[in-house]
Amino acid sequence: MRLNCTLFLFVTLVSVTPLSADLRRARDLELSGQIRLAEQEYKTDGGLAYAEFLERRRHPGAMAAYEKLVTATDVNTKRQALKRLVVLALMDGNRPAAERRLNAYREAGGSGLQFTVNPRPAASTGFADIPGPIRSFSRMAALSPDLSPEELLGALARNVVTNGYQAAGNNEGLDQTEYLKLVYRYLSQAKELEKLSKEQRIVIEQCDTAQTGELLKVLGYRMRGACGGDLVLETVNASRAFLTIDSGFPLADLELALKTGKSFSYEYKPTKVNVLYGPTYWTEAREKDKPDQSFIEFFMSDPQLCRLYLGLSKLDPSTAEDLKKAMPVQRLRAFSHVLDFFGGMLQIRNGKVAVPGDPRSSAVWQEFLTVSPDNGPAFLEKLISKDDGWLAAYFEALSRMSGPALDYLTEPGRMKRFYLALRGKVTSPGPARPVFRASTDLMLLTSRLRLDANGKPHVPGNVETWKNLFINHPHGKYDGKLTKSAQNWKDPDDLLEALFALSRKAVDNEPLKMFLALSDLNRNRKEPLSPAGVEKMLKEWKLYGAQYSAFAEMPELSEKSMLQFLAAAATLNGIGDVQLKSDAVGIFQSLVALTQILNRNHLLSTGLDAAIDPILTQIPAAKNSRDLFDAGKAGLQHLLKSAGVDEKADPQVSMLALLAGAAKPADTDTHRTLVAEMQKVFDAQRLVSLKTIFDIDENLNAPSSGGKINVALVNRLSARIIEQQPPRSSLSGAERNAMAFGYWVDKHIENERKINFRAIVDKAGSDPAKLKDARSNLTGFLRDTLVGLAYIHYAPPGAQILFTNPHFVRSHDFLGVQGTNQTWRNTEVFGTGWPSSAGGRLVGSLVSLPYALAEAEQNFLIPTREQALIWGDLVPQMIVAAKVPRYWRVTPAQLHYAGLHFRAGESLLAQSAVDEKLRAKVVTALARFAPPARAEAVNAFLELGRVGDALDLVTPSEAFNLVGNLISTGDADASSPQIAEIRRLKESLPQELSVSSISPSFGTPKPTLANSYQPQLLSLRTFPTLMGYSSRILAESWESSNIYYAALADELGMKPSELNVHVPQWTKLTVEKIFATHLEDWPALLRSLRLLGQEVRQSTKQTPQGSN
Amino acid sequence: MRKFFALLVISAALVGIALYAQDAIFRVNADMVVLSFTVTDSKGKYVNGLKHTDFRVLEDGIIQKLSTFAEGNRPPIQIMDDGTSKPLSVSDNTTKETDLKGPSDAFVGTNVFVLFDTSNYMYRSFVYASDAIADFVRGLDKADSVAVYTFSRNLSRAADLTRDRNFAIAGLRKAVAGDDSALYNGLLLTLRDAAKVPGRKVVIVFSNGPDNGSMVAPDDVRAVAEDEGIPIYVISTAEVNKDPISSGVFRRIAGRTGGKAYFARTWQKQVEAFESIREDLGNSYTITYYPQKNPNEGFRKISVEIVSDTGKKLRVRARPGYRPRTS
Repeated sequence: MRLNCTLFLFVTLVSVTPLSADLRRARDLELSGQIRLAEQEYKTDGGLAYAEFLERRRHPGAMAAYEKLVTATDVNTKRQALKRLVVLALMDGNRPAAERRLNAYREAGGSGLQFTVNPRPAASTGFADIPGPIRSFSRMAALSPDLSPEELLGALARNVVTNGYQAAGNNEGLDQTEYLKLVYRYLSQAKELEKLSKEQRIVIEQCDTAQTGELLKVLGYRMRGACGGDLVLETVNASRAFLTIDSGFPLADLELALKTGKSFSYEYKPTKVNVLYGPTYWTEAREKDKPDQSFIEFFMSDPQLCRLYLGLSKLDPSTAEDLKKAMPVQRLRAFSHVLDFFGGMLQIRNGKVAVPGDPRSSAVWQEFLTVSPDNGPAFLEKLISKDDGWLAAYFEALSRMSGPALDYLTEPGRMKRFYLALRGKVTSPGPARPVFRASTDLMLLTSRLRLDANGKPHVPGNVETWKNLFINHPHGKYDGKLTKSAQNWKDPDDLLEALFALSRKAVDNEPLKMFLALSDLNRNRKEPLSPAGVEKMLKEWKLYGAQYSAFAEMPELSEKSMLQFLAAAATLNGIGDVQLKSDAVGIFQSLVALTQILNRNHLLSTGLDAAIDPILTQIPAAKNSRDLFDAGKAGLQHLLKSAGVDEKADPQVSMLALLAGAAKPADTDTHRTLVAEMQKVFDAQRLVSLKTIFDIDENLNAPSSGGKINVALVNRLSARIIEQQPPRSSLSGAERNAMAFGYWVDKHIENERKINFRAIVDKAGSDPAKLKDARSNLTGFLRDTLVGLAYIHYAPPGAQILFTNPHFVRSHDFLGVQGTNQTWRNTEVFGTGWPSSAGGRLVGSLVSLPYALAEAEQNFLIPTREQALIWGDLVPQMIVAAKVPRYWRVTPAQLHYAGLHFRAGESLLAQSAVDEKLRAKVVTALARFAPPARAEAVNAFLELGRVGDALDLVTPSEAFNLVGNLISTGDADASSPQIAEIRRLKESLPQELSVSSISPSFGTPKPTLANSYQPQLLSLRTFPTLMGYSSRILAESWESSNIYYAALADELGMKPSELNVHVPQWTKLTVEKIFATHLEDWPALLRSLRLLGQEVRQSTKQTPQGSN
Repeated sequence: MRKFFALLVISAALVGIALYAQDAIFRVNADMVVLSFTVTDSKGKYVNGLKHTDFRVLEDGIIQKLSTFAEGNRPPIQIMDDGTSKPLSVSDNTTKETDLKGPSDAFVGTNVFVLFDTSNYMYRSFVYASDAIADFVRGLDKADSVAVYTFSRNLSRAADLTRDRNFAIAGLRKAVAGDDSALYNGLLLTLRDAAKVPGRKVVIVFSNGPDNGSMVAPDDVRAVAEDEGIPIYVISTAEVNKDPISSGVFRRIAGRTGGKAYFARTWQKQVEAFESIREDLGNSYTITYYPQKNPNEGFRKISVEIVSDTGKKLRVRARPGYRPRTS
């Protein structure tokens, strides 16, 4: 066995050489998900392979396993064990242990590892005092209590910039908002309290003293009742009392102390917070007429200075230092808005600015600014002051790119041409003037641009198609000049130039949206849409553009089917009878939505075109409710058949099984859980099962062929309808008339409730024709059930509306509020916060149902601490990312592969603290995904040996991506057990572990960024908040959660299929732990993910569990 | 048998839980109805001292057989098949408390859930409301448990259910002022929490009414309270005539769940409102029963009659009915 161990070490070191036969069995077990059995096999070996197995799985026993090997006689084994112990100690935050192991490693002949002897000096900082405890100030200033003193002032600066000021009434300045006024009032109270404290504590020894009175006066309270048990504190000054409560002063403790005669002691001292470059640097910008204030008061009084603080804190320290030297603070202050939004990608290295497209683009940048990038500080000064920020925005957008698209756009002639188009003739207002960046479209255009095989930008259709669009502009004129210039377009660059020109528009940039949507539609198609197809799509954009994301998600759908869809939609739009139209649209859209779900989960055994054909052709052909019912039923039955469901099978049971995401899963427990969850929602919505509907249909048809009516069956449906009786309204008739909305959906529900099937059947008697006609009464129920099936598939974790409002599904309004036509638009939430309505409901088509449903349910999640501050668009996207992907097709090897990437990333970062060469490679790789300032901060922490702090700055997706990058460049440390395993896996399972397999397995849907709900990994840099899209794009660029959950599941030896249940649950728990300060505070999200991980680990047995 | 009954009452709200005691397995289903009500005379004064034999409870006109009976915060009594009664032991230390959520003797006293509006709409009255709630918590009966929840856009559990008044007040005093108001979302979540706790419970909402963030309608929330048998009391700081829609909704929600709505614009009136609620809690009767067979799966109308009140001079205030849980 010892021989085997030695052999294995050799294998590890050369990394991709096949394993020994004895260990192969262990590995096979591991890869098949039988972790416990694999562990036993490895344990039998007991050597390095066992220890590395444990480390790969992040097992707490890994360190002990390596410990056993440090006395090994084989020097290679010993060295490797010691090296891994150094890394593990660093990850554990135990520097003394790491140093001890490092010494032992060197003594064993190891080399190449040492802590940095002279780490670079940190950015110069000073300190300022904030009166009172940090927690109180954070509460008042809406800052996360998790912020460190180093981070606090930057977060405060952001809140002051975004929430602190509003336009003054006379429009000539800024007024403080209520938020900022309260912060100032709090500071004033805190100063008073500080005066009452002695030796940094507020101490009240006795109740009946002047000191008590003084304290209560400052707090805004007084005593009611005499000192002792009857004493109660009550408000006397509401403004002060509000500050006392809102800042979290321990009033209840004070009251208790006064009641019980015990002393009250509360630490009350100023908090020292870090100030970048020290307070003096900032006060130099003080205007003379400003009164003497404390630093913090002065700081908050100047939003522009706050913005500069933000801007400079986004630069890496050496770049900021260079810029500071080049520009006095007063001048920098004038461009603070540009630095804040577009400074994050600026970097000076060795005196030179790293420009995107370097070296080819260098001359163009010099031409733009009349300064060479080699003269770093001067170049940056010119850049931020040029064209009110347009050039800086361009620089930033290009800097975020990489690969062929960047090469294309930075070709000198093109780069210049596109910038001039973007800038236009009138540069003001610049893109940094608004509260959020006005360069959304520019960022989308550059980050989503794709090149065809010929090296040219992909143009859906052809240039002629777009030329016609701009010249004829069927939806209204875009731009007079572009209409004129379009006459001469010949090349894709002509179109791109126009799109860059349109990117400067803050609103209604329709052509760019069309271009991106159709580019995404073509992205995964084997054959791109024909020019005629594109032309049709462009023509129909206004009405049906929102539906194109469904086409983008189903690249297997032929162009013919897409055009059929548009024709069907047009037919349905033309139906005059609103009830029939609602039913027809509802049945059509829900069947398409169900097709989309089945296709996404690879459940269609026939071609997509064949599966969807009856839906596209038969439903629009229906002339009345009876026809519609027949068409809907036929469409569904055909869909089930296309998914391999036997004709005789129960349609309800079969559909629920498919909606769980798998037809015949091996993990039946998980599948059953998912089906049960969906069934609960289905029942709560009092929907009628497909089986009941179809049975009644057949029963009503029976007399035509000599059969009899089954009265019991009719009664069953009648009973279900009676269950729908809504509770009596809490509104009076007058209130309903005044306040209620949604006439058509109310009518739909009312009509259904009025249906008495028993009476209808009785009335029809034995007349087969009348009984057949009676089937038209089933149409509304079929619509509700089909719509409901789409709803239950996406039901968010912690959902409440679906369980409380039994009419939520039925209330889906396919028409929209009267006077609007929302039938084919995105799904929207309506009726929020209107207590006199029937509650919120969803309006529009079903195309963005997952997001709308998540948006509607998000506020039912309960924050574990104070009120959440930033949920907004972030949480719906997190819920969508949890509910849309399914993990039935994910293999144990894929799960392990994803987990290994994340853990390898963290492990390599830790190792970098003692391996200078590796650190340089790791930081370079990280800089491809993280902005320069953060990459440098990670570098600095690693130099200091502060691995924990460095890891806090790296997101799971960055850790994941940097490993892929290091492996592709050959820069990963081959001796790392995770890297070695990744290589072995990749070599043995190239298809299973290809990018195209991993991306949909652990990616997230990106309906805004990629116009599709198909989960995918784009590995983009995390986006900032953008005007118009707010945090939605930011949230879509966040790919870390699912990667983290996958790694956690792998670490704990779970089956991939279990993620189907765990990911939604974990997402709910993660969301409930988020306490962030602002929209871009993703470190807060990272913190909550890690907290979740700790909780899950604690609640799960630490020994790996497999499926054996 | 005594132990069995204690378990039964405690577990009433826990659906499908099987409790194991010695050799027997006692299965408790969730059908048991908990009904709290007050009886007042023609002058509106509480009538105390009535016995279980004074009451007749009907569901859709069907007479029900009572299982337990309690007055105010006194321990409940078990009603035997022959109509006699015997006390339920609170201190029975063989009770399997570990399986249960909430205080061990949760069936004694009331579980009071206070829901405090900390949204922008309460900005000006925030501290006074906080004082009034603190007073209310201090004055609760020793047997009562109290939880303090706050809401703005989201719900926040400031203090979980406790008999420790200081803990509850400390939670209350740490409430953070928020922004939007999602009153009915918050109320729904509070009811969901309350429904998980065994024993008698009420929800007291302190809000001035406006709601700009809820996705659920008041009517649906009220239905949950009705079905779970949880009376809702509302104290609003707004003037009734300034927001007739909200005040109308408050009245109906409270009325139909067996609670009350108060419109107390001043701090003193708020204190009085709380005092009135406290009195209500101390002067109410609580009975439980398993419904007799009833084909009605929809709304079942409950009526409580006082057998001894032949002249019909007394007034019973109870929830009007409920919808049975669907299996």
